[in-house]
Amino acid sequence: MLPTNVKQMLNQQIQAAEHPRELAIDIMMAVQDHYGYLSDEALEEAAAIVGVDPLKLEELATFYTFLYREPVGRYVIHICDSVICWMNGYESLRDHLCKKLGIQMGETTPDGLFTLLPVCCIGYCDRSPAMLINKKAYGPLTPAKIDEILETLRAEAAETTPS
Amino acid sequence: MPKLIIDEREITVPEGTKVIDAAERMGIMIPRFCYHPALGAVGACRVCAVNCLDGPIKGIQMSCMIDAQDGMKVSTTDAEAVDFRKHVIEWLMLHHPHDCPVCDEGGHCLLQDLTVSGGHGVRRFQGPKRTHTDQHLGPLVRHEMNRCIQCYRCVRYYQEFTGYEDLGVMQIGSRVYYGRYRPGTLESPFSGNLIDICPTGVYTDKPSRYRGRRWDFERRPAVCLHCALGCHVTVSARYREVVRQEARFSESINGHFICDRGRYGFPYVNLPQRPRSARVDGTETGWEAALKTAGERLESVAWKTGPQGIAVVGSARCGLETQGMLKRVADAKGWQGPVLDIDPAAANVRTAVSRLDSDLQVSLREIETADCIVVVSADPLNEAPMLAPALRQARRNGARVTVIDPRPASLPFQFDHFPVAPDDLAAAMAILIRKCAEKEPLSELGKTAVRSIEAVSDGADIPDADGLAALYDDLHNSRRPVIVCGTHTAPPEIPGMAADLALLLRIAGPRAGLFYVMPGPNSFGAALLSDPAPSFGDLVSAIEKGEIKALVVAESDLFGSGIDWDRLRNAMNKLELLVTLDYIDSPTTRAAHILIPTLTSYETPSLLINNEGRVQQSPAAFRGGDPIARTGGGDHPPRAFRRDIPGREMGAAWTALLTLGGRDPGSAPVNLTAWLGEAHPALTSLPEASDFPPDGVRLPLAENAVERFQTDRFSHGEKEEDALTLLVVDRTFGTEELSSLSSILKELTPSPFIHIHPEDAAELGLSEGDAVGIDSEAGTTVLPINLTPEMARGVLVIPRRRDLDDRLPQERRTVLSKTAIRKATEDA
Ligand code: SF4
Ligand code: SF4
Ligand code: FES
Ligand code: FES
Repeated sequence: MLPTNVKQMLNQQIQAAEHPRELAIDIMMAVQDHYGYLSDEALEEAAAIVGVDPLKLEELATFYTFLYREPVGRYVIHICDSVICWMNGYESLRDHLCKKLGIQMGETTPDGLFTLLPVCCIGYCDRSPAMLINKKAYGPLTPAKIDEILETLRAEAAETTPS
Repeated sequence: MPKLIIDEREITVPEGTKVIDAAERMGIMIPRFCYHPALGAVGACRVCAVNCLDGPIKGIQMSCMIDAQDGMKVSTTDAEAVDFRKHVIEWLMLHHPHDCPVCDEGGHCLLQDLTVSGGHGVRRFQGPKRTHTDQHLGPLVRHEMNRCIQCYRCVRYYQEFTGYEDLGVMQIGSRVYYGRYRPGTLESPFSGNLIDICPTGVYTDKPSRYRGRRWDFERRPAVCLHCALGCHVTVSARYREVVRQEARFSESINGHFICDRGRYGFPYVNLPQRPRSARVDGTETGWEAALKTAGERLESVAWKTGPQGIAVVGSARCGLETQGMLKRVADAKGWQGPVLDIDPAAANVRTAVSRLDSDLQVSLREIETADCIVVVSADPLNEAPMLAPALRQARRNGARVTVIDPRPASLPFQFDHFPVAPDDLAAAMAILIRKCAEKEPLSELGKTAVRSIEAVSDGADIPDADGLAALYDDLHNSRRPVIVCGTHTAPPEIPGMAADLALLLRIAGPRAGLFYVMPGPNSFGAALLSDPAPSFGDLVSAIEKGEIKALVVAESDLFGSGIDWDRLRNAMNKLELLVTLDYIDSPTTRAAHILIPTLTSYETPSLLINNEGRVQQSPAAFRGGDPIARTGGGDHPPRAFRRDIPGREMGAAWTALLTLGGRDPGSAPVNLTAWLGEAHPALTSLPEASDFPPDGVRLPLAENAVERFQTDRFSHGEKEEDALTLLVVDRTFGTEELSSLSSILKELTPSPFIHIHPEDAAELGLSEGDAVGIDSEAGTTVLPINLTPEMARGVLVIPRRRDLDDRLPQERRTVLSKTAIRKATEDA
């Protein structure tokens, strides 16, 4: 269950909207921010807030890259899988990431830190090859840079996680 | 009008015609998956590629996405286009399970056809196939997602066309999945159309699964009997059973689709309990022998009591042939009647039929083009299901749709609802009519009509009377307003007032139309061919007084007449002779002294007049007889040789009536068409059976409508204080006589309950879910209540379930004192 204040805020947003459906993605994003991912329960709660059949949100949630219907790691790495990045070495970078993290695309590291997913062009073509981690864009990438980024994030995680 | 060349032939087509349709007009069927005339173009499947060799657009194009233009030179056979289409089919087939042998679509599958005709024979793809999990979608539709080619027809039909949201498209890329959020029964009462519209075997007809390939069936056109709209269906029969029905295109009525009641209402034809042999006093005799005995016994009653001691009764499900014959025989013999419509709404239907004029008539399809629609005293989804999608199309085109009705209206689109109590409906209509009179100079008759409306109360009790007045302005300013008026539960003055409003609007300017919703598939014919008196109630009184001793009942269950069952049973016990002719098992066939089985409209041609006044022909689909499943007890049928069809010793009801009327079965065939012309002047120019147009013929109704106002008003009784009106209303599944016998639809018929306004409930001290007892003539009915804010105050609404009829009051509208309604105690 969403905390009452979150729910209240979202309900207010919906009431203020001329067409509640236009807020469907925003509401799902907000609910996802709360839970970490969109579980069935979360999706159904969001549907109740928007006032539509859960199917209408499922249609969006399963289409839209940044809504996660399965649990994800603390850092979600979206590596760009579009034409400019293909030209600039996407494949070898992807393989590097997979090797480095010991997972396949679509998987999460056992420590729950990283999830690896593709994404369509993120508009970073001028700094291609590129990737997105928790909404922050990185590029142009090299294997060395990737290692560096991963190390920084690991350190950050270690710092903020109470042992 | 653009002129273009397709495959070296020239054609001129109306502006806005798509190239794919232009080609079709020339007999060139360009392959297509996603394109459907009812849904329009999206360009999703890419299989309709053609090459534009010259003209304003050049190169490979999707023919469903481009409008025909002057100077276009299109080739459908060009090598590049053919190769393109071949590759499209190849990749659409990448993951196909190649399970045609066990797929019910096989044999009438667009994907099969195009795969073969497109020249794709061998799968080159060696990778693992993507597979999906299927969902349970309820009793009607079977789901097999692996066969999907992502054409989007299903979701566009389901969500856009009919406005339901529980089936859609999820996922992305090769994982695209069409289905529900969770497995479960589809919510739309139009879900069966998915079966027709999917070009492959993803959705197939569940009840007829594995029952045969299309070429195994006798397939014939027919007209649906399950409401008054008269939608077009295609029947598939096999082994002397109706196995499946599909929607059949009709330009004027249902378009491409039908409702699930129409599609799955047919099992009454196949039922084991259907009467198949004639019986006299419970003993099986031959058909002719039974008719002979019936004739003799009727003679002897007539000898004792005079011909007035005999009465004949039909129903709104009898074809015109039977209705006409009932009239002819009654007239010739001097018997009483015929009473052709025993439905409590018969009087309303009669008013409607007398008020419908040629210039007011609108067809179901024409409703889609209306821009302001007022639905009064009708519940489209439950009383005439396909009216709901027609209204939705009007709404999608920008129309305003308003419902004025006490019931909790539900429609699959956005509409305005004035929940006006039955007693106030006339006042609500009066507001609209008066408003019209304020604005327009009226003819003398129009003025009289409006003056007589002054007698109607001033509408003080109408919630939002100002809203109604504003609605009038919208009607006035619209181009094509349509008044839809129900007859099932409408108070007697409403059908006439609806016609008055439409006429006055005509005077005011807009080209107003009028569309009545009626109960039975031939309610219209019944009203044309019979007189207002006697009514069925009159007959029952005459039986009680001993004036009528014998009744001939053709295809009619008297226990659906709205007359209290105990009273009816007592009356029937007083009869010396009850002759029942029918094809269903009912309390009336069970009570018959002489039972004459008859053929259904699937087995003998019948003419029906729909609610719009359109005469349609439903030809026979197969010859009838006891289903082989029964004669063979589930195994091979008996190997004994016989020349006739088992269980087929019967004829159409009208032929039986002809014999009862004294005509020798051996005499020359009768000219039914001529006889119908003699029965009613509007039926004089019906076409012969062989050249009946596909959409039937609209009856020539009276014109010069302006002079035909309803000037005599009904006196309005004082409203009773402390009373509630109980409405027993139709629902989509479970109420209509024939489809309520359908085993397929049983699962979709929910258990009964009572709708009540929360404030009324509070006053009565009731809360949600309480079991409530209602005392009426029928005894006490105990049902749970459902608090429903979107309905009128002072009203209880029970959706009627025919199989529980004996527990409910028979009247459609009963006034109950509040003391008759109470919470049922635990032990009650
Ligand atoms: S399920 Fe049928 S109608 Fe729907 S997209 Fe797939 S092939 Fe088309
Ligand atoms: S709307 Fe009426 S006529 Fe049409 S298919 Fe349904 S029940 Fe039959
Ligand atoms: S293609 Fe990768 S950022 Fe645009
Ligand atoms: S029919 Fe034209 S793209 Fe599908």
